[in-house]
Amino acid sequence: MSSSEPSSAAGEPTWQQNGRPAAAAPTPSWVTLGLATATAVAVGVLVVGAGAETGRPSLAGLAAVGAELVILLVYGGSTIRGRRALLRGRAAAELEAQSSHNQLQKLIDNTAAVIYMKRIDNGRYLLVNREWERLFKVGREQVIDLTDHGVFPQELADQLRDNDLWTARQARTVQFEETAQTDQGPRTYVSVKFPVLDGNSEPYAVCGISTDITEWKQAEAQARRLAAELETRVRNRTAELEASNRELDAFAYTVSHDLRAPLRSLHGFSQALLDDYLEQLDETGREYLSRLQANVARMGHMIDDLLNLSRSTRVELVRRDVDLSEMAHEVAAEVAAAEPDRQVHLVVQDGLHTHADPQLLRLLLYNLISNAWKFTSRSRQPVVEVARRERHGQVLFVVQDSGAGFDMRYADKLFNAFQRLHPAAEFEGTGIGLAIVARIVHRHGGRIFAEALPDQGASFYFSLEGQMSEQPDGHTQPTLVGAT
Amino acid sequence: MTALPSAETLTRGAPSDGTILLVEDSPDDVMLTQRALRKNNICNRVVVATDGEQAINYLLPREGRPLAPELILLDINLPKVSGLEVLRTIRGDERTRYLAVVVLTTSNEERDIVSSYNLGANSYVRKPVEFDNFLEAVRVLGLYWLLVNQTATYARTPAE
Repeated sequence: MSSSEPSSAAGEPTWQQNGRPAAAAPTPSWVTLGLATATAVAVGVLVVGAGAETGRPSLAGLAAVGAELVILLVYGGSTIRGRRALLRGRAAAELEAQSSHNQLQKLIDNTAAVIYMKRIDNGRYLLVNREWERLFKVGREQVIDLTDHGVFPQELADQLRDNDLWTARQARTVQFEETAQTDQGPRTYVSVKFPVLDGNSEPYAVCGISTDITEWKQAEAQARRLAAELETRVRNRTAELEASNRELDAFAYTVSHDLRAPLRSLHGFSQALLDDYLEQLDETGREYLSRLQANVARMGHMIDDLLNLSRSTRVELVRRDVDLSEMAHEVAAEVAAAEPDRQVHLVVQDGLHTHADPQLLRLLLYNLISNAWKFTSRSRQPVVEVARRERHGQVLFVVQDSGAGFDMRYADKLFNAFQRLHPAAEFEGTGIGLAIVARIVHRHGGRIFAEALPDQGASFYFSLEGQMSEQPDGHTQPTLVGAT
Repeated sequence: MTALPSAETLTRGAPSDGTILLVEDSPDDVMLTQRALRKNNICNRVVVATDGEQAINYLLPREGRPLAPELILLDINLPKVSGLEVLRTIRGDERTRYLAVVVLTTSNEERDIVSSYNLGANSYVRKPVEFDNFLEAVRVLGLYWLLVNQTATYARTPAE
């Protein structure tokens, strides 16, 4: 909205008076007519006066007066004619001004914004629009002589006045957030204010356009409240999760300590029976003790695997650059040492590197490689290979064996804890190893799948990097209004 | 080899008497450990402390000279004073600082292993479930710590 320019040097804009026509101001035609009349009369008086001085009215004087009158009449006639024309022009101009003013008034009356103009010197209202009238229940005729202090409570009026004066000092458009009490309760406005200048480029008024942002503010407050609530909920959830993690940790610790201890006793004392009372036991008795020991050992392994499963979830993931080739060699050596009688051909591709948690990666490799070792136990020429290969357009690591393989129909059960695809009599195992592997892969944000055929070996493909591990950068805060 | 500092600046720890201090609260484990030692022909005297307090009182008695076992087999989960506290006390006292301490426990939790080494354990061994494996572990421990290894019996005083 453009500011109105004052129509005269006196600094009184015509349309600022709220629809009332401008008060009659001296115009050039009247000034001329007035001056002419005054001159003519003065001349006549002087001439008459001059005649009176001599005691008798001189002819010359009369003639002069007559001449003057003629001039006056002639001039008067022409002036009247001119004036009529001028009046006609002025009326048109006034009409035009009036219609333009009406258009302007209509425009500002038919907007949802609150529009007003106040004098800077005394703070009096010069103009308000219909929305202003509707909100503050004051008609434009009454408000003209009022200041904010006549409309609003003291405190608000002081603040509004301060804002107006500040705007005048800034000599540019500025923006405020203002609150006013209406019959709909307190409303919040974003007010754009600008100084209105007179002919000397001096600010004489401040015009304001206020937009109701109450709903916006409420929505914003609501959003803020929801965000805070969400944050609280997340915090509580995290605390719960941490508590349950601590419980899990305590449980795992207890399992590690307290469940293994009785197993040690079972195994140790059954061994003592075998060692010290061998002669008192027959073949069957010794076999029973052996079975007992085998089961105790199996339970020990299950507890260890369960611990590893829980560990693969609860330990903090710390990524480092890992030489996967080297680690595979180490793990394979460890696995091979447990079965020194077996000959397995190990092929590890050189230069395999990744960025992963070394502790977890070792656990992963241990489970995959010991699996491969186990399932090649019946192969004539067992081969276990660790390599990098492209699969489905992705470069993946693979642990491949030439062993028993499995039926792909059951592949979906492979990575669940306690799921076994082979009878325990054929291949020992707790059924937890691949669950540990899958968990470690998922914690790294990678993926894992297997390809196999019965008796033709199995390949376990995995990646250790994905989107999950990457934290999104800081998010932007929503802003309420743009700067002016 | 550098020469030992003069006797005045040293606190003399008790001379080792070849004793093994077994700090273990489970009677079954005590029996099995003793059995494993015997099976490996390790005939050193075994003193058993069934909690951490007993172990500290044995090593650092209020009266008399402190005792210096040849080897301490220390469990972590102990009543009253934990194994890690016992270890801290042993390493904190100049009279026992250089004793050979092998943590022999059920746990293979990383934090226990790390804490043990941080507090100055000489070795950390997890007790295997299978007795034959335990037997082997005890054999190796006995061979190394009682025969191969040379322990220091002198400790510097804090004044030095």
